[in-house]
Amino acid sequence: MEKNIEKTDRSAFWAKFLKMLKGELGLILILVILMVVFSVISPFFFNSRNLLNITRQVSITLIVAIGMTFVILTGEIDLSVGSSAALVGVATAAVLTATGSIFIAMIAGLAMGIGIGLTNGVLTVYGRVQSFIVTLAMMGIARGVALVWTGGKPISRLPVNFGIMGAGYLGPVPVSTIIAAGVFALAFFVLNKTKHGIYVKSIGANKEAARLSAIPVKKYRVLAFAISGLTSALGGILITSRLLSAQPNAAEGLEMNVIAAVILGGASLSGGVGTVLGTLLGAMVIGVIDNGMNLVGVSSFFQQIVKGVIILVAVLAKRSD
Amino acid sequence: MPETVLKLEGIHKSFGGIHALKDVSFELAEGEVHALLGENGAGKSTLIKILTGVHKMDSGSIQVRGKSVTIEDPVDARHKGIGAIYQELSLVDSLTVAENIFLGHEPTKSFFGSIKKRELLDKAAKYLSSFAIAVDPSAFVGDLGLGQKRIIEIIKALSINANILLLDEPTTGMSRAEIDTLFKIMDDLKKKEVNMIYISHHLDEVFRVCDRATVLRDGQNAGTFDIRSVDLKTLVKSMLGRTLKEEFPVREGTSSEEKLFEVREFRTEKMFAPINFSLRKGEILGITGIIGSGKSELALGLFGADSSVQGDISIGGKAVSLKSPDDAKKHGISFIPEDRKGQGLFLRLNVEHNICVANIDLAITKGVVSNKKKSQLAKDTCEKLRVRPLDIKMAVQNLSGGNQQKVVIGKWLCGEPDILILDEPTRGIDIGAKTEIYSLINYLADRGTGILIMSSEFREMSAICDRILVIRKGEIVGELVGKESSTEQLLTLALGG
Repeated sequence: MEKNIEKTDRSAFWAKFLKMLKGELGLILILVILMVVFSVISPFFFNSRNLLNITRQVSITLIVAIGMTFVILTGEIDLSVGSSAALVGVATAAVLTATGSIFIAMIAGLAMGIGIGLTNGVLTVYGRVQSFIVTLAMMGIARGVALVWTGGKPISRLPVNFGIMGAGYLGPVPVSTIIAAGVFALAFFVLNKTKHGIYVKSIGANKEAARLSAIPVKKYRVLAFAISGLTSALGGILITSRLLSAQPNAAEGLEMNVIAAVILGGASLSGGVGTVLGTLLGAMVIGVIDNGMNLVGVSSFFQQIVKGVIILVAVLAKRSD
Repeated sequence: MPETVLKLEGIHKSFGGIHALKDVSFELAEGEVHALLGENGAGKSTLIKILTGVHKMDSGSIQVRGKSVTIEDPVDARHKGIGAIYQELSLVDSLTVAENIFLGHEPTKSFFGSIKKRELLDKAAKYLSSFAIAVDPSAFVGDLGLGQKRIIEIIKALSINANILLLDEPTTGMSRAEIDTLFKIMDDLKKKEVNMIYISHHLDEVFRVCDRATVLRDGQNAGTFDIRSVDLKTLVKSMLGRTLKEEFPVREGTSSEEKLFEVREFRTEKMFAPINFSLRKGEILGITGIIGSGKSELALGLFGADSSVQGDISIGGKAVSLKSPDDAKKHGISFIPEDRKGQGLFLRLNVEHNICVANIDLAITKGVVSNKKKSQLAKDTCEKLRVRPLDIKMAVQNLSGGNQQKVVIGKWLCGEPDILILDEPTRGIDIGAKTEIYSLINYLADRGTGILIMSSEFREMSAICDRILVIRKGEIVGELVGKESSTEQLLTLALGG
């Protein structure tokens, strides 16, 4: 009997604890705890330089994750973002080398990203193949094209000016952080203050009801993939810019970090639920874990395990109801 | 005095400070069918959920055969002999009838726990024959009709020795013959000492099968009646807390002569022959027929939601092409679908989202959604429709059925449509909410909206429609003037007598 009471007490405590971790407030809490822990362990963690450095490191994951948020909100998935980023990086570098114009190179890269996204979207929506399959195939194709195009070798010696986006600073603030902030603000506006946001959430919540509410469901579903294509292209350009070199093997596994950030941010893979603010916090949590463990000197093998466990715990906490 | 099988006393339950149940009592006597009545939101569902262990009560007591019990969860409820049949079926379409009946407690061999197939089929066959049901136990449930499925569901509940059976709107979507079979089974069950709690908005059914009725109003007891000595008026009054002036409000205006909507040589995939009809401004036109007659397909087709349709539609004399619901909306057509949960609502999202989604343009200035305008739009619509509770930030899934239906209607109402198509607009909602919806339809028609109602409730059709088309197997088999038609007439035409 006594044991039983203890058990209910403990389960009540756990229920309360897990409930606290739910929602964006919980994510902020996790973020604060992580930061306190790393500050205690490493003297190099908590200073403005390192914190800004984290925002720079997170910027690419965040930008791509924002596009992914649109896709996941409609109840789909995009596994091709990492490969697309690599291919766009290669294409941008090639055009840049050929024309010498950063502007033209970027337009070409972004257009390519949108093209890849549209292809994913059209095949999923009109071809009626699951997005998991379509984008899994696209993941292979895009990576393959990048490798074939470059013969597996990086395209280097890009003009130094091109590096400003990925590696430059405006005062103390990394340029890529500013770009990410801009993308975030835009997405926040679109999802919260335009009908696009209302439509996307509706589609994810109930496709049939959305269709019968006179929402052009197919158009907005395809558009979500195009947005994801665009953000992964931007991510790919930033990676290339930072290294001043386009690597066909760049951004390998990026899709996993990105999906983790979105899910950590509270989005549901079945659609209809999720916010870009959540995605931002999710990306920050992952970024702080990566950065902190590097500073503390945790072996990179071990880092993967820790990250996996933290993601599992956070997501489990959100699911408990 | 027969033994009391189940006794609930002083049940309290509140959700976030709002009382759902206040000091509710309920008694089920041995060998009776006891109706639980009340408007949507009166607390019936909450009471049932407490009884089946879905919700926990805040205070109160439950006694089963004189013994005080606590019901931990739905599995526990089943162990205590309480089985429930909900409107939403819990059967697995891809399994056989026998597998469904014994799902979760299959007869197994000790060796590897594999299922004794023979025994499973035999036992299921025995159950089926004891109710004189001609269903093959090895048939797939997905191939059965709704009525048969619901009966399988009942047998499933009984297979775990339930002697208290909750039936929540069991006749929803059933044909007359199926309802008759169900009632016969209920009679059999009574003889087998299964006690039943029967929830239905159809008071005629209550008078047919129930012995007593307990009425809830606003989460409180409003009386328990002996069915043999009570009349319909008293029951309705007790449910509503007021006398219902008339179930079907009389319309003041009349339809104009102006043709609003014309349909020529129109056919959907399910239809055998193309149909022609026209709808006048301010007219309430009913299209009726039995379930499966093709009404819903027609409604979807007219709203541009079925790409396989053929035919010509003209609005205000001009030919239009409706290739998508979006097109239909642009031409002033609105559509309230039949299945509110599957087709009408975003259940997890809030009332505001659900109401504004189709007419979000009304809350947009220069491309930017104004949250203030959005809330105002939702609030005004909810007030007009008397959605209860009036909380636009509440998730729609937490509303009662009637209020959910009002939200679906509200979604289109706020756009002030020229043409409104409603498919089974009063299915599964209570008499008070029904009357409100009829008044609303009248109001819209008086304003000049052309109303097209698809319904298989013949009584409702002849009471509210100006004109009624009867369709059978996708073909119009009769046209009647609403007020001159009778239920019998409609039924005969619909069945093809």
